[in-house]
Amino acid sequence: MKVIKIDKKDWAGGLDKASSGYRFFGPVEDKECHNFKELDKGELPDFNFSNTRLSAKSVVFPQTEAMFEYSLDENEADHHLMKECRKNDAPRAVLGIRPCDASAFLLVKRNFDNPEYRDPWWVKAYESTTFAGLACNNPCASCFCTSAGCGPFDEKGLDVLLVDAGDHFLAKVVTEKGRKMLAAAGWNAETDADIEALKKDAESKISSFVPTDKLKDKTTMELYNAAFWEEAAFACLNCGTCTYSCPTCWCFDIQDESKGKSGIRMRNWDSCMYPLFTLHGSGHNPRGTKIHRVRQRFMHKLKYYVDKYGDGIQCVGCGRCIRLCPVNIDIRKICEKMNSYEPKAGDCNR
Amino acid sequence: MGIEPDRLHFSWISSAESTKFVEVVTGVTEAVRALGPHQKFVKTNVKVA
Amino acid sequence: MSNYTDKIREISERLLKEGRVDMVIGFKQGTMPMMNEPCFVKKPEDVSKLVWDSHCGINLANYLTDRKEKIGVIAKGCDSRNIVTHIIENKIKREQLVIIGVPCKGMIDRRKIASMSDAEILSVAEQNGKVIVKTKDAEKRYERTDLLQKNCALCVHRNPVIYDELAADLVEEQKNVDRYADIREIEAMPPDEKWHLFDDLFSACIRCYACRNACPLCYCPTCFVDESRPQWVGKSTDPIDTKTFHFLRAYHCAGRCTDCGACERACPVGINMRLLTRKLEKDCFESFGWEAGLSLDQRPPLDVYKTNDPEDFIK
Ligand code: SF4
Ligand code: SF4
Ligand code: SF4
Repeated sequence: MKVIKIDKKDWAGGLDKASSGYRFFGPVEDKECHNFKELDKGELPDFNFSNTRLSAKSVVFPQTEAMFEYSLDENEADHHLMKECRKNDAPRAVLGIRPCDASAFLLVKRNFDNPEYRDPWWVKAYESTTFAGLACNNPCASCFCTSAGCGPFDEKGLDVLLVDAGDHFLAKVVTEKGRKMLAAAGWNAETDADIEALKKDAESKISSFVPTDKLKDKTTMELYNAAFWEEAAFACLNCGTCTYSCPTCWCFDIQDESKGKSGIRMRNWDSCMYPLFTLHGSGHNPRGTKIHRVRQRFMHKLKYYVDKYGDGIQCVGCGRCIRLCPVNIDIRKICEKMNSYEPKAGDCNR
Repeated sequence: MGIEPDRLHFSWISSAESTKFVEVVTGVTEAVRALGPHQKFVKTNVKVA
Repeated sequence: MSNYTDKIREISERLLKEGRVDMVIGFKQGTMPMMNEPCFVKKPEDVSKLVWDSHCGINLANYLTDRKEKIGVIAKGCDSRNIVTHIIENKIKREQLVIIGVPCKGMIDRRKIASMSDAEILSVAEQNGKVIVKTKDAEKRYERTDLLQKNCALCVHRNPVIYDELAADLVEEQKNVDRYADIREIEAMPPDEKWHLFDDLFSACIRCYACRNACPLCYCPTCFVDESRPQWVGKSTDPIDTKTFHFLRAYHCAGRCTDCGACERACPVGINMRLLTRKLEKDCFESFGWEAGLSLDQRPPLDVYKTNDPEDFIK
């Protein structure tokens, strides 16, 4: 596919030109770290980062999202009706998303957009978005993307792959959507520059690997009952940081809030690490202990998902949960344990 | 916390001290009225993005 | 530090062999620089897992709550004070514990080190009071005393206040520490300025509650923020709800907080919520002469009434 050369001198101008047709989102530094946010007019994304602290999932799936609204004020036209919130569905473009975060959307898509169920809010936001990713020239020591079906130059979740090549970007056009965005910015200098060498170089810098090959052949119940969970879960604080920072975690909780005569129904990120997540109205909690919850997180990502979709683990190897966990619970180690697990007689963890 | 100290009053008033009660209530009302409506710890509905 | 590790292993092995404890709670080597993972050891032959260095900032009292076993627990000064609080609050029994005290010279501030370097940190080691930070292309040395976690720099109880065994000789306590300079500055601000300060302080909070969950004091079966009948606090990322959580949690820790710093250390976004807990700590000290967790025989100020309790705020 085509590669376009974008001189960095033309970067701001191009974005400005395209900004009439797109809402831009990009990484911005705030309080010593980068996170994605909607860029103000003329504001440029800051590409001087290895990865953002939280993933880019919030661009499509915000931590708090209004779904429905109502008003009981009889002076308003649609009073006493629960209406779907009107959203801004204008085309958006995410600039500088890492390939891992972008491919995470494809894993999440299986949950939000499938033949049985289409989540209108997620689907609309996803479909209106163009993903212009930034290849990782220098992956972190805690990234294991190449073990998780992804990679520092992976294109599968992207519409455009940008590669930083010093005084210019090389933009590889991956989809029609991507081509349109580049055209809107007026970037059209085709080049036959080859990004393969850069890609090989970046991939060779990945230093962390995790074996996942045997997960699908393990027996679910044997893994579930494995003795190692007690030890693996001990330190966990059940804080949910791992799931909030994870680009592939998709769980949410629905809440109603009202004020005066109006109110909304919204959803907020939720986490399998929280006791409340599975608490029944009766007071019974099927995942009543920390061990249950830690096991659920890893079993879902590394076993149930693998079995259900037959397309690898529900993880893209961005390494955020490893870097942010306050007590250093490391998915790589747990994955190794699961992958190499052989049940011993007498192993049982309830 | 950022809430004006004059919004919070403590007083110990016996049931026999009706004059003190009147004084305190008047004082509190005046102090709070002087500050006007509280604007800070007020929640609005979540915004639709 | 390696002698701490050796001594901790030796004591733990002995306690487990003699059957005096069912498990020892300590730290094992982490997989990331400046991170160790809390762990337990149940068999004498596994004690080699245990390590001690300047990255053991998580408070292990948090792992004792409501446990039924006989436990050997490794405790720095602050941990030991939270253990005292746990015992006073009936979260564990003194008889269940063998406390392995670790006189502490402070933990290292992992965020400070990370923020000083543009490149990714690959390893952090220590040698003769110097901290050696390695990145891909560079190696830098710093004075250890310049890199202490904020609460450790202010700590005046480095030695465990209760213990059964000691992993090293007691250390000298820091004297003449001004613990509350920053708090006094905030106290002096006009209300609006305070409000903006807290607005900004908590703006990055993602409501994960790692601060609460890392805190040994926050053991309520259902926290007020999780309560749904009635629902005291909204669950969205609304800034008012977020602040409500932080203000109220701080009040719940009043007279109990030991400024162990576990909350701030655990926060994935590095919020200094200790500005709130330390204000209450200061108030408890000034009003009641109270420092939390120093003695098993005294009740905390908020659950006793004394005729000389200050009451000049009542008009
Ligand atoms: S971030 Fe770590 S401590 Fe928090 S829930 Fe996840 S694994 Fe547990
Ligand atoms: S740990 Fe940090 S982000 Fe999480 S709730 Fe506490 S202050 Fe907020
Ligand atoms: S509030 Fe923070 S500093 Fe105080 S005891 Fe809890 S975790 Fe430690």
